Amino acid sequence: MRSATRRPGLEVSLARIRILLRRAAASRKGLRMKRQRFLGLAYLAPYILGLLVFTMIPFIASFYLSFTKYDLMSEPRWTGLANYEKLFTRDRTFDKSLWVTLTYVFLTVPLKLAFALFIAAILNYKLKFINFFRTAFYVPSILGGSIAIAVLWRYMFASEGLVNMALAMVGINPVDWFGDPGNALFTITLLRCWQFGSAMVIFLAALQSIDKSLYEAAAIDGASKTRVFFSITLPLLTPVIFFNLIMQMVQAFQEFNGPYIITQGGPLKSTYLLPLYIYDEAFKKFNMGYASAIAWVLFGIIMVLTLVAFWSSKKWVYYAGDKRS
Amino acid sequence: MKLKRFAGVLTGTALATMTIAQTASAAELRMSWWGGDSRHVATQKALEACGAKHGHTIKGEFTGFDGYLEKLTTQMAGGTEADIVQVNWPWLPLFSRDGTGFADLRKLPAVDLSQWSETDLNSGSTNGVLQGISVSTTGRTFFFNQTTFEKAGVPVPTNWAELEAATKTLKEKLGDDYYTFNAVKETAQLLVTLAVTQKTGKDLVDPATNRVAWTPEELAGGINFLGHLVEIGAIRSQKAEASDGNVNLFEKPAWAEGKIAGSYEWDSTYSKYADPLKDGQVLKPVPMLHIEGSVTDGVYRKPSMLLSVSKNSKNPEAAAQILNCLLNEPEGIDALGTSRGLPSSKIAAERLAGQGEPEVRAANEIVVAAAGPMISPFNEHPEIRSNFIDSLEEFAYGQISAEDAAQQIIDGTNDVLAEFD
Repeated sequence: MRSATRRPGLEVSLARIRILLRRAAASRKGLRMKRQRFLGLAYLAPYILGLLVFTMIPFIASFYLSFTKYDLMSEPRWTGLANYEKLFTRDRTFDKSLWVTLTYVFLTVPLKLAFALFIAAILNYKLKFINFFRTAFYVPSILGGSIAIAVLWRYMFASEGLVNMALAMVGINPVDWFGDPGNALFTITLLRCWQFGSAMVIFLAALQSIDKSLYEAAAIDGASKTRVFFSITLPLLTPVIFFNLIMQMVQAFQEFNGPYIITQGGPLKSTYLLPLYIYDEAFKKFNMGYASAIAWVLFGIIMVLTLVAFWSSKKWVYYAGDKRS
Repeated sequence: MKLKRFAGVLTGTALATMTIAQTASAAELRMSWWGGDSRHVATQKALEACGAKHGHTIKGEFTGFDGYLEKLTTQMAGGTEADIVQVNWPWLPLFSRDGTGFADLRKLPAVDLSQWSETDLNSGSTNGVLQGISVSTTGRTFFFNQTTFEKAGVPVPTNWAELEAATKTLKEKLGDDYYTFNAVKETAQLLVTLAVTQKTGKDLVDPATNRVAWTPEELAGGINFLGHLVEIGAIRSQKAEASDGNVNLFEKPAWAEGKIAGSYEWDSTYSKYADPLKDGQVLKPVPMLHIEGSVTDGVYRKPSMLLSVSKNSKNPEAAAQILNCLLNEPEGIDALGTSRGLPSSKIAAERLAGQGEPEVRAANEIVVAAAGPMISPFNEHPEIRSNFIDSLEEFAYGQISAEDAAQQIIDGTNDVLAEFD
């Protein structure tokens, strides 16, 4: 009734005010959104800046340098494909180092993933002091990459080190862990595998997220534990296995600390991984251009293997809602 | 009253200005060096004393020798090297091929250059520009653990034949885990160099042709000499060293216990090797051991490390003051002592005459007195050295013969030398 008594002029004014208020609200919202966008960018800025300065610029610069002769002290001199030509046709050290690196990666990654999954499966049970065990198994990954651990590893596996002492106690002859070119790479691989904690934590989280009703159904059907593992657990873990595979492979290709501290790439270059070769060429022999070329070849190998892994994942990785049987 | 207040304000302003002026001249500097514990302690004391004298603050950046070149290379490439830098003499051509890598010390009057001989100044110059000042003259000499030899009832060897005989006795009396000598990596390279130089009288590089002076046969002889010492058990094999993780000699328990009883090291590093020895053991510097048919002592003598001032230093004058204090002024000389060997500076040599460890002095006297050809800085070129050591390792593991190793070393060395033609 009140509206019927309203004067037309007043209604027009009220409508205008409403429009103005709406506009003001919209403008405030826009401002807020703008501010939020700015805030988002501000939060991202340190990362973007770091990425540009410490990754992108060196990344692009190293590509350019790979076509030059550059000794760090004088200006780079353009040499075209000369570095790559030498690398693929005349450099025996590169051939050896590439072979060692590939062996190392193909040894380390499956071993580490299998071990991480094994421990994660054990830690998934409800055991006494389970949190303590989870922490204890994770600790090596925090310490693993450090120089101190590499030094400790060197003493443990030395000819009269702790490992050989332990072997002697059970009547096994001492093993020449570092001196024998056939064993040295395996010893370095063990150090890497020992740092399984990060992969283990991811596996553990994935194991805990598997729907319990699936296990209950399998138990009702009378499936054995092995069958349950291979038919339920493993397929549901494949996305995580795939993720860990990519991460561990990239990290393994970049391994440096272990062989640098423990064996310095020896004996007979049996642990001379490509990152060590890059380092020696760049900072010991002052061949920064050549080192950049090796780095780009390493990048190419990682890229190709990652693409192969992605391509093959269509055949063996199962995601939730996947229709494949 | 007003006049009094005015005078007070004036005095206060003058005092404040003086304080500000004093602060402005006080520089914050960095100095980087490599060395062992005794050198680190002595240098820090010297920097404190010189800093206090000249009103500067100097931060020390120190490490062991391993990794120092890489660190310095990165800093030099980025222009972030310390104001005062310790540089190994063979690295001078790497960092300053044309004499522009470091500040020209002749343009920094704070350094009293009259304290060095012209030969010393020339050795620190590239392209006629003084890039570094020689701290001392150094060379490789023999250190033997006198206590171990006494325990076995044999005299400290004075030639290689005596060393061979002593090895046999040591093993019989003290055990198979006793060795009379050490030669791993660089030391193995320099031992082979010594053997070939003694036999031929020539250094690795012929300065006239800028190519390897030795024939493959001469070099193979030196490599076989090293192989023979391993064979008779005087030196631990390369494989045994690798099995223990290639630990530095002075960090090895076997060295501390006297089970490795000798080595061929820089004279100035006497303390580095003597300090870790367990109580009561005596390390003795010994005159050059000769191989049969040697024509010279074959001493590997060179200007020791140099001290340079960074061309990027914001306070080169202050850095020069500290450098001069370390090498020429009583505060620096006394604190440094012989931690970098016996000094080249005349005033420092005079002040330290008769001081310091008698063993360091004795080792330096051996090096200075011994004869040998002028050595080339290319002996320690990173690529040449790496090729040399890798070839020796292949020989040690039985992968190649001494002749092939010799050819490999000569070819690799000539390739590098050709780049400097």
